[in-house]
Amino acid sequence: MDAEERELLAEALRGTMTATPAGAALDAALAEVGWEDLLAQEPEVAVPLVFSLLGETGAHASLVNDVLLAAAGQPVGGTVALPYAGGRQVVWERADAGGDGGVLDAALPLRAVDPDAADGGKAAADPVALAAGRRALGWWLVGTGRAMLDLARTHALDRTQFGKPIAAFQAVRHRLAETYVALEGAEATLTVAEDELGCLLAKAAAGQAALDAARHCQQVLGGIGFTAEHALHHHIRRALVLDGLLGNTRELTRQAGALIRAQRAAPRLAQL
Amino acid sequence: MSPTSLVPAGFVPPVDGKTATVEEFRAAVRAWLDEHAAGLAKPADHSLDAEVAQLGKVRRALFDAGWMRYGWPVEAGGLGGPDVLRAVLGEEVAARDLTDATNYSLVEVLAPTMISYAKGELAAEMLPWLLSGREQWCQGFSEPGSGSDLASLTTRALQREDGAWVVNGQKVWTSLAQYAQRCVLLTRTAPGHAGITAFFVDMDTPGITVRPLRTMHGVDEFAEVFFDDVVVPHERMLGKEGDGWSLAMDLLPYERSTCFWHRITYLFTRLDRLVADADTDGSEPTATTDAAVGAAYLALHTVRCRSRNTQRRLAAGANLGPETSVDKILLATAEQLLSNTARDVLPGVIELADSDWRTEYLYSRAATIYGGTAEIQRNIVARRLLNLGKD
Ligand SMILES: Cc1cc2nc3c(=O)[nH]c(=O)nc-3n(C[C@H](O)[C@H](O)[C@H](O)COP(=O)(O)OP(=O)(O)OC[C@H]3O[C@@H](n4cnc5c(N)ncnc54)[C@H](O)[C@@H]3O)c2cc1C
Repeated sequence: MDAEERELLAEALRGTMTATPAGAALDAALAEVGWEDLLAQEPEVAVPLVFSLLGETGAHASLVNDVLLAAAGQPVGGTVALPYAGGRQVVWERADAGGDGGVLDAALPLRAVDPDAADGGKAAADPVALAAGRRALGWWLVGTGRAMLDLARTHALDRTQFGKPIAAFQAVRHRLAETYVALEGAEATLTVAEDELGCLLAKAAAGQAALDAARHCQQVLGGIGFTAEHALHHHIRRALVLDGLLGNTRELTRQAGALIRAQRAAPRLAQL
Repeated sequence: MSPTSLVPAGFVPPVDGKTATVEEFRAAVRAWLDEHAAGLAKPADHSLDAEVAQLGKVRRALFDAGWMRYGWPVEAGGLGGPDVLRAVLGEEVAARDLTDATNYSLVEVLAPTMISYAKGELAAEMLPWLLSGREQWCQGFSEPGSGSDLASLTTRALQREDGAWVVNGQKVWTSLAQYAQRCVLLTRTAPGHAGITAFFVDMDTPGITVRPLRTMHGVDEFAEVFFDDVVVPHERMLGKEGDGWSLAMDLLPYERSTCFWHRITYLFTRLDRLVADADTDGSEPTATTDAAVGAAYLALHTVRCRSRNTQRRLAAGANLGPETSVDKILLATAEQLLSNTARDVLPGVIELADSDWRTEYLYSRAATIYGGTAEIQRNIVARRLLNLGKD
């Protein structure tokens, strides 16, 4: 796929995600535009594109199941039990959220399951599948971070205090710069994420960047960013929930540390 | 002083720089370095004199064997081939800890702009002296009154009737000035950004006084340099009158690609050392140490990924610009996190023992100062990358 085709595909996907209600309807709409073939034939294009767009548009779909299933060599379309931070497990249902209020991001059809009960957890136990899932969620988290940065940047330029846009204040500018740098760094790790360790590190970097974005952007948005009327809180909720999925930043960072200590050397994954 | 006279008689290039792939070049460099490991090993003496002598020795050996000349234009005494070959060589040198990575990489901030701006044969004549380790050069940009606001510099150059220039003023924080034979010097010839002019100055010219400064980490690597009626021939002007600011800006892509790659490689060797030392220390719970070491690794891995992408863009012909401030911020942050982590997981090592970690820790404090401070980088990101307008 060349750059132009990719651009067209991105536009089509963005259109689908903004025009279709998130959840089961979006799952169906993406199936319609050929998600399964795209994932099977060009996963290195499909995953970054689709997942970062989910983040940027604030939409959601249960595609992470497919990423894990495909990587494990199983038929896509079903669900897999997904490890969650703290030794928990969840299932990402292929349906709309029941709205039972259990999950911080109530829009997501996530259901906690008992890790000890066999709930179809095969794919999640497969390290290759886990790595693929982490990479996909990393792209999603970076997309969510970019959505927050976009909201905060617009606000900083529009909002006037002390007779000038708050974007003129260095404290505000530096928070936004910090956010941008974190997101760019995380995206770089995603472009290099090939093996298990690379995907683990990329998920950790992306989770960290999204959490940094949440913190800085919420501060820049002031009171309006604390309301349910402004879009920011949706993205913050999403970032927090996705950070925990397949291991959170804190756990993954600790695992990376344990690994290099056990190996007595830090792998240099990115090569010239 | 023709450049070829510095090349050993009967020299045959070990590889073809134009056709060798990165992997082939790396393999050849590695084989050569392995073969010559004993002769190139760093001495036990950690003094700056010994370090600079070692730098000269390593460069000389690499120059004589040809390696040091790849990635530099043939017109300037190099052997040609893409810039990335310099990144690969520096990576291998840093990975073996043969010289201090910062000093080794000074070439990257001095030579490329000298090559693009020097008149006539000057670059061809001079560059081999630097590459072969026979000389050190320094960069005279900062002044007592002009740090972050470099464009406010006041060291004056006035043209005499005979065409030569007379320089008066003072530079400060000039790294390795006390060892340097030449200086890439920024002077003021008229007001404003367009009034800054660069010269390539011989450090033994009458009127130049170098006074080394003590540093916090005990390695007195920089100096004050005073200029009193220092006469510089017109042929030593780099570019035209008023080109100094663009010269200063043009060196950023090299500093922020090749140089950073060397530094990152070096920091990875220190991370490995931290992992080994943390093992023997064991004064903290395992999970705490794992988390701290993991965070340092994550930060270094992140800047390595970013830097690799930057190198690829450069190799593909992209012009590097303000987006390299991201690389700079990630690098300075990772470097300080690494040595903070060393202090955390090896309690007392920095305070109670005169260890390498102490030097590392103290030197890392400068990472958010030199090459454009942390705040200046964030200003650039806000203004140029996020388009937030003026502050
Ligand atoms: C180890 C080392 C080696 C060096 N080597 C060389 C060399 O070889 N050649 C050379 O020419 N120079 C060299 N330098 C100098 C270096 O480039 C300067 O120190 C640097 O540009 C900062 O200038 P300054 O020290 O005058 O600090 P200042 O510019 O006075 O800054 C002081 C503080 O104010 C902040 N500040 C300044 N302006 C702003 C702003 N607009 N917004 C927000 N904050 C601001 C800075 O971020 C900093 O925190 C070296 C420095 C070090 C530490």
